[in-house]
Amino acid sequence: MNVGLHHYLFVSFMLFSLGLLGVILRRNLLVIYMSLELMLNSANLALVSFSRFNNKLDGQVLVFFIITVAAAEVAVGLALIVALYRKRQSAHVEDLTSMKL
Amino acid sequence: MNSSLIMLEISVIGLGLVLMLADLFVPAERRRFIGYAAIVALGVLLVTSLSGNGSCGQFDTAFGGMFVNDALSLFFKQLFIVAAILVLFMAAEFSDKLAEGSVAEYYSLILFALAGMLFAASSNDFTMLFVSIELITITFYVLVSFQRGKIQSLEAGVKYLILGALSSAFMVFGIALIWGTTGELNFTRLAAVAPQFADSQIFLLGVLLVLVGLGFKIAAFPFQIWAPDVYQGAPTPTTAFLAIGSKAAGFVLLLRVLFTAVPGVTAHWANLLIVISAITILYGNLCAIPQRNLKRLLGYSSIAHAGYLLLGVAALSASGQSALMYYLAGYVFTVMAAFFVITLVMRHLATEDISGLAGLNQRSPLLAATLTLAMVSLAGIPPLAGFFGKFLLLKAVIEAAQTSHNHGYYCLAFTALAGVIISLYYYFGVIRAIYWSKSPEDVSPIVLSSPAKFSIGACLAGMLWIGVFPNTVLNLTNLAAAALGK
Repeated sequence: MNVGLHHYLFVSFMLFSLGLLGVILRRNLLVIYMSLELMLNSANLALVSFSRFNNKLDGQVLVFFIITVAAAEVAVGLALIVALYRKRQSAHVEDLTSMKL
Repeated sequence: MNSSLIMLEISVIGLGLVLMLADLFVPAERRRFIGYAAIVALGVLLVTSLSGNGSCGQFDTAFGGMFVNDALSLFFKQLFIVAAILVLFMAAEFSDKLAEGSVAEYYSLILFALAGMLFAASSNDFTMLFVSIELITITFYVLVSFQRGKIQSLEAGVKYLILGALSSAFMVFGIALIWGTTGELNFTRLAAVAPQFADSQIFLLGVLLVLVGLGFKIAAFPFQIWAPDVYQGAPTPTTAFLAIGSKAAGFVLLLRVLFTAVPGVTAHWANLLIVISAITILYGNLCAIPQRNLKRLLGYSSIAHAGYLLLGVAALSASGQSALMYYLAGYVFTVMAAFFVITLVMRHLATEDISGLAGLNQRSPLLAATLTLAMVSLAGIPPLAGFFGKFLLLKAVIEAAQTSHNHGYYCLAFTALAGVIISLYYYFGVIRAIYWSKSPEDVSPIVLSSPAKFSIGACLAGMLWIGVFPNTVLNLTNLAAAALGK
């Protein structure tokens, strides 16, 4: 079987949807955060496969930017989640309720 | 390649780094004064950019068309620098509520966020758009949760983090789809090839996903969920910068994407923009009514204002874009004045409830008058900046209705008027708390430092000047809107 652009894009869409489902359905902040990274990486997969099949390199350059930015985001995000855990002894979204009307 | 164009951005980042270094050498009790040095430096940068000798006065492109300096970027860069100067003043007043000695880090983070906004104003390429928006957002994750000892601040930070990362994931996927179908990341070159792809579902999905990401930044319906919680939990200067800087950066990118990159698609999506704008106005105003926390109330009010600003986008005309920018200019001074008063009044109180304003009239007539004028301007009553801005936005929408014969525009104008009337109720609730609340317990006068007086004076002057003498700002915004149409 020949693996073409469509197959890669299908995998990328699947990963994106799985990540989105994870963000919506899971209740642990760390798992939600992992799902968000999955969504970013599905976009990376789409960019690289478009780049490979269209013979253009811009997409791969953008992927490097995305990976760098995602790393910075993870550094800040994990620090935040750890700080919240130390304060609350919990990493569950149900416990984020100190602000309500 | 013309890298001298980014001298302004390089100076701002350099200033941020210098402030971080100064943190090492200045004793903790004097660190708040570092902020005044930063204000002076930013003032110099603002004056050089106004005089036309600076880097953003040279209208040109750099880095293969990724970075563009034109009248639009010049207008927004001046707006961002003014906002950052006012936020630095506010942060200096707020410094005793931040962790011991950490205020210099707070100043430098404000400057890094400012650098992101300056890059956003000039971005003409999806790579630049993504990187500059992430520079703003990631800096704001830290700024929002800066009071790490306070649970609300951390919670606000985590909520902003999760929803911000979600919206950037949507945006990146959208960029991947746009690039995959058209093969272009540059806005100008994309505009040339986009008409061929007007029927491609994948291309349209990509544009929609990018709009989702930008809609999150400006807090438009249905991506506004984060705004009230984050506005309430964040330190007050961060909230002010979020309400101005982050929103204006979202709008300048929205204008560039909609009117430079994909103008053909935008023309077909007028109804979508009309619906989003109308729902955002109604949602923000209706949800603000029962709020008791002043910062949360301003959070909902900022959602409503995102809706008003979207009127200018939905009108799809140069006059609409010009009105949007005029409204933003007035909004900077108005919102800064409101948050300045909140910073000064609430810093010694445990709550941020509206009842904390009781007796403000006797404690400090200047602050009471400032907050009243800010609320009046936000509500849109003449002669302040908010009135003329709303008038221009509605005028642009009515003109669009007459030229396009789309009756949706009339409904939109009617909704906006209804929103203004609803908003009078809660804005006047704040004014009533200042002047007519019963038996204030604390009537000790509030002592203002001279920098605080100066910056409040500047906010008041800005609000009145933009409202009473609109011509100077309107000339700038008309030039900026013309640059967008080219």
